[in-house]
Amino acid sequence: MNTHLFFRYLLLAAVLLFLGVFLLLPIGTVVGVGCDWQLIAEIFRNRIYLEGLWNSFAIAVCTTGIVFILSLILALLYDRCDFPGKNLSSTALLIPMVLPPFVGALGFKQILGYHGVINALLGHLGLAPIDFLGGSGQFWAICVIEALHLFPICYLNLVTALGNIDPAMNEAAANLGASPWQRFLRIRLPLMRSGILAGCSITLIWSFTELGTPLMFGFTRTTAVQIFNGLTELESNPIPYALVVIMLVVSAALYLTAKLALRSTPAATSGKGMVNSGAQKLSGWKKFLPGGVFGLVTLLAGLPHLALIFCAFSTRYSGTVFPENFTLENFDLALSNVLVLPSIANSLKYSFLAMLIACFTGLLVSLAAVRWRLKGSGIADLLAMLPLAVPGVVFAFGFLGMAVKFTWASTIFDPVNNPVWLLSIAYAVRRIPYVVRAVSSGLEQTPEELENAARNFGASSFKTLCRITLPLVTANLIVGGLFAFSFSMLEVSDSLILAQKQEFFPITRALFELSQILGFGTGAACAFGVWAMFFLGGTLCAGALLLGKKIGAVFKF
Amino acid sequence: MAEVSIEKLTKSYDGTTKVLDGVDLHINQGELVFMLGPSGCGKSTLLRILAGLVNADSGTISFDGKNIMSLPPEKRRAAMVFQNYALWPHLTVFENVAFGLRMEKHSKNEIRTRVMESLEQVRMERFAQGAVTRLSGGQQQRVALARALAVDPALLLLDEPLSNLDANLRDTMRREIKRICTERKLTALYVTHDRREALSMADRAGVMHKGKISQIGTPDEIYNHPADGFTARFLGDVNRLKDGGIRPERIKISESGGKLRATLLERAFFGDSCEWLFEVPGTGKVLVRELAAPQRELGKEYFLDYEPEFLIPVPESGDEE
Repeated sequence: MNTHLFFRYLLLAAVLLFLGVFLLLPIGTVVGVGCDWQLIAEIFRNRIYLEGLWNSFAIAVCTTGIVFILSLILALLYDRCDFPGKNLSSTALLIPMVLPPFVGALGFKQILGYHGVINALLGHLGLAPIDFLGGSGQFWAICVIEALHLFPICYLNLVTALGNIDPAMNEAAANLGASPWQRFLRIRLPLMRSGILAGCSITLIWSFTELGTPLMFGFTRTTAVQIFNGLTELESNPIPYALVVIMLVVSAALYLTAKLALRSTPAATSGKGMVNSGAQKLSGWKKFLPGGVFGLVTLLAGLPHLALIFCAFSTRYSGTVFPENFTLENFDLALSNVLVLPSIANSLKYSFLAMLIACFTGLLVSLAAVRWRLKGSGIADLLAMLPLAVPGVVFAFGFLGMAVKFTWASTIFDPVNNPVWLLSIAYAVRRIPYVVRAVSSGLEQTPEELENAARNFGASSFKTLCRITLPLVTANLIVGGLFAFSFSMLEVSDSLILAQKQEFFPITRALFELSQILGFGTGAACAFGVWAMFFLGGTLCAGALLLGKKIGAVFKF
Repeated sequence: MAEVSIEKLTKSYDGTTKVLDGVDLHINQGELVFMLGPSGCGKSTLLRILAGLVNADSGTISFDGKNIMSLPPEKRRAAMVFQNYALWPHLTVFENVAFGLRMEKHSKNEIRTRVMESLEQVRMERFAQGAVTRLSGGQQQRVALARALAVDPALLLLDEPLSNLDANLRDTMRREIKRICTERKLTALYVTHDRREALSMADRAGVMHKGKISQIGTPDEIYNHPADGFTARFLGDVNRLKDGGIRPERIKISESGGKLRATLLERAFFGDSCEWLFEVPGTGKVLVRELAAPQRELGKEYFLDYEPEFLIPVPESGDEE
């Protein structure tokens, strides 16, 4: 074996070691503690936990249903019609993704709460107020707000799947006498199955394990919230560990089912000669219809955040449609709160470290799997994708368990006294899939011949990597890094579970604490939320500008 | 420029089918050698092994008597013109051409001079500061050639460099490459499946078949005296007669007399030539090519005649393309 091959295997071994310790070990730890049949049996006997599981499942199914219908309509409109402002409206759809549902929940309450905007409107019309968020209203509010946050992921998958269908397939069906409806049912829908599976399974897993949104609504009967609430008495009651195991099993089963179904999906792509996209040019008033639908959905998705902005800039916003005053008082309050400024610094620190770790590991995994094709790189690739199937709560608990169980881990990974590395690595591990996806797609689109040419013209393999390979995938790496960074800033489960001391609180934890303070708390939390929203929006816009349409590749399976 | 010697080169990707099966080849200094063959015959693998991008299973390659088999690609000085050009999209035309020189750590001035020289040679000096992504296929091809010329390689490798160009441009580039190779006395190995390219440009040309070089010689030798049926068929049309094979342009049509009686079935006019298809009783169909296109009557009987010295080996049925 020559030296550079040896060096590559050495790097791969390091990556595998890293993934083993920080990915498999936490999961293993949780499973080790939680896989106690007595505990699991107790969960299935206890009505409260069963209800939590049922609610989580119901939320996941309903959210996915809403997401699927919404994104299917939008994706078909995008694929079938040419209308003014097409690209702009499609890009605007991605806005909800940068608005954390956890923060959106604050705004949503402002709109649908008993003293909210809708009831104020009803009052103006002389109608009695409705308690939207009482009873099952809370459940649906959670589904809607999660759906409005998650549908862009599904939409991107569907648009890609539709775009990959050779128009000739549709034309052939039309030629043989199939009506538009028959063509949709028998040609397009089956051929876009991969996109549907990918989009829906991500949504399903995500909403099944979501902690932030139900927590903000005070909807305590979901598994994720029950796990979070069980944290404080973990030593006397290890039930949360078992709940985590159940959550892991369900998520992994969903993921595997989707993956298996995807394997048997036929390829409908024809690379060459796809000139005619088959989109229809609309005329007259009809041409504004699709744009209108896109705008409406974007507005709906952005509405909670609009309410959040109003909340942030006002101290008197209750029982009215619009705020009664505009002031910066909330921002003053937020900034002067002891929680806020340190939490921004903390989040920046953790997220930056997480970004570096995720980029480095992700880049190595992609290179090993796509370019170097080393033996064992398939395992690294598989491991790196694992976080897509494993809920954040599982990892958070795993890290917690590791700190208790292993002495080496308790010194560097102390959740009480110094969680910097703990949080950074926990953030990073769950962001690796985005980096791997982004970089791998870049590498796959870069002909290997370009690297061969560099070798042929006298560049060593290291020089080729530095001067040809890396520059060619820089945009992808930056986008992967940006996503890693932004999603780390938004991260909820690790932040709530692993940051236990106030001085180490990241933004999300601080936001949660602020929102729990009665009186000025909500306003200050809103102000803080608005700041976080714009910060992240800016980061992601920069990413979108860099990668253009390719941004969708990051969210693929 | 080096003298290149290849001995008993073998390569198999899957362990069973031999892509190269004991290839021997000698390229003299300053010689332009072509390797012809259908796709999958191993000719591209041969190039990539020479460049060090693929490792051979056994055999030796030496440049000027020095064995280079253990050298990594970057140390071989065997510059390649890739089939899809492989120009780096993030570098300018100038930087693409300068890359190899930078790797050799030449001085700034020297790099500048040599890059511009190479670009002038392919008539692309005006585009030096432009982006390679903006160039047309033919222009990219020229830059790829300039990039290989700039490093003054021991051996120039060309992997079907003209296959992505349209017919007119291909003719122009064919002359350009031939001119540059002659002017600079380049030792070069050119791989293609286009026999016209090989026959018109090569000092010597070889035909590869199933991992072996079935014949190598001057274009005249391999075309007019092919060693076997495959080579004969690959380089041009061959009529199958009772006493051997014969090329369509070697047959004369006459109304008065000849070796064979034949009925005229079809006529195809190509502008610069004309092809006649005859039915010869007991032999089958026979194709005749002429430069002129006189009036002849379809269905009428003619005589076909040829000199026995032009008879060549007959392709087996498996040799058909």
